[in-house]
Amino acid sequence: MIRQPIPAWLVYTLGVSGVVVVLAIYAALSIRQTQINPDQNIFPGIQAFGEGLSEITKVRGGESNPKPSWLSVDLRETYWRLFLGLSTGVVLSVIIGIAMGSYTVVEALLNPIVTFFAKIPPTAMLAVYMVVFGIHLKMYVAMIALGVFFTMAQAIYQAVKKDVDSDHIDKAYTLGASEFEVIIEVIWNQVLPRVLENLRLQIGPAMVFLIAAEWSFAGEGMGYTIKQQSKLQNMHVVYIYLAILGFSGLFFDWLLVQARRRLCPWFGE
Amino acid sequence: MNKQIAEGELAVEVKGLSHWFGQQRVLNDINLKITAGQIVALVGPSGCGKSTLLKAILGTHPPSEGEVIVDGEVIEAPSRRVGIVYQHYSLFDFLTAERNVAFGLKLDSTSLPFRMLMLPKWLQLRQQHLERSREYLKRVGLEASAGKYPTELSGGMRQRVAIAQSLILKPKLLLLDEPFGALDEATRESLQMMLLGFYQENLIAKAEGRTPEYTILIVTHELNEAIYVANRVIGLSRFHDQADRGAMVVYDRPCPVFQPDDPKDVEKLVEQREQLRRAVFDPAYVKHHSKYVSFWSELAAQEAAVAGIR
Repeated sequence: MIRQPIPAWLVYTLGVSGVVVVLAIYAALSIRQTQINPDQNIFPGIQAFGEGLSEITKVRGGESNPKPSWLSVDLRETYWRLFLGLSTGVVLSVIIGIAMGSYTVVEALLNPIVTFFAKIPPTAMLAVYMVVFGIHLKMYVAMIALGVFFTMAQAIYQAVKKDVDSDHIDKAYTLGASEFEVIIEVIWNQVLPRVLENLRLQIGPAMVFLIAAEWSFAGEGMGYTIKQQSKLQNMHVVYIYLAILGFSGLFFDWLLVQARRRLCPWFGE
Repeated sequence: MNKQIAEGELAVEVKGLSHWFGQQRVLNDINLKITAGQIVALVGPSGCGKSTLLKAILGTHPPSEGEVIVDGEVIEAPSRRVGIVYQHYSLFDFLTAERNVAFGLKLDSTSLPFRMLMLPKWLQLRQQHLERSREYLKRVGLEASAGKYPTELSGGMRQRVAIAQSLILKPKLLLLDEPFGALDEATRESLQMMLLGFYQENLIAKAEGRTPEYTILIVTHELNEAIYVANRVIGLSRFHDQADRGAMVVYDRPCPVFQPDDPKDVEKLVEQREQLRRAVFDPAYVKHHSKYVSFWSELAAQEAAVAGIR
């Protein structure tokens, strides 16, 4: 039956079963492919993954001039770009989204522009960002920030319109709030869970934009290494990078869910 | 009706208030005086302009003509002088009951820079605010629910918290906009008792020479409720001899106020309800608009009678 609840043990069992099934399919494909071609690297086995892991975590350069491993450089570059881009995009979208939802002048001025740009895929704008910002950090930050900004600003604007009733605002004034306090104390608190929910949804697209940009232009970063290693058909490295991207995505998602539970316990699940 | 309450210090004055929506005049020349301690019910047919009048008094929608004076100041925007409890959306979802009640104290007595830059002082003050908030929750019988969020409270509990939230700032006038409309009969009755309790506290305050704390204007579509909880009922309607000019006050009479534990005088209640229904809600009953506007003259007559007896 639709939405019929199931016991907690069954939820966990089904979750674990899904993972086991995927691993089993992979193992079967890997064994089958190895039987056909013992040197295959399309579905590498456990040993190959071990080698891949050691390869990407190995400290480079000589003893006199040690250089960080590929993985540490890529993680640092990619997640720094992601952090800067996302935080810039979120701050901008919160300010603009709340302003659009609160002031009709701002709404009339910006709504058409925001709606227009939200329809353009950020990867299609890559050429523009490259010409304007060059192929340095600024380009990645701009692409992620603007990539999430238009969609998120629209979502926050809608949340302010829908979740913050005019009666709440009038009520706050009768309790002695100034206009700025209404925005900070009422509107911001009311839409905060929506901001966190939208941020959860935007991490995936932000990673897509970033990996695509790194694939095309970077000399370091997860996207760059995936491109280089896939050219060499080193899938044992590529799959590890993909797993890292997946797990880090899960981790950020978990972090944001915890933040929402802690900051907005009233919002429920 | 208690003479002392009716005669108290002027809390609100509505002077020559008229309002138009485009070419249509909705309210016509509304004049009202409400003194401190009065609990006034406002009734009228749907669409007669009750909400427009309420918004003008609240300050969110200033009238096209005339003015509202509260505590000697003309109302032009919402302020802490006039509190409001709506039928819905009365509480802030993101605050617990005690924080909802303390919210006004926070906004009224501190500024954002103070809260950010003087954190230790603010935290100390915060404790005092929460203590006062719990006192008010106790007054409305909800001290046990202080830590609950609005979504964890029933409709009646939410309205009690909302009333405490407004009262803690001691507004000159508290507006209740159909506050019990969405509640079941038993909850509605317990909240009516609470209002009667407030009226009793007003009487005690007046007897002790203090200004009564609760001055309330309650908008309701329930005629029984209007007559039962208020000491004065005002009817707003378009059904009068100048109907083309918009709604006017067509009924303004005292009500028999009951003490919370007193038995209701059902006969009196039914009699006044029928009079009110006919005067305010019956489109076929066209009369001079001031026929039943007699609150102050009845008061004067009552005074004269009392003086005569002496």
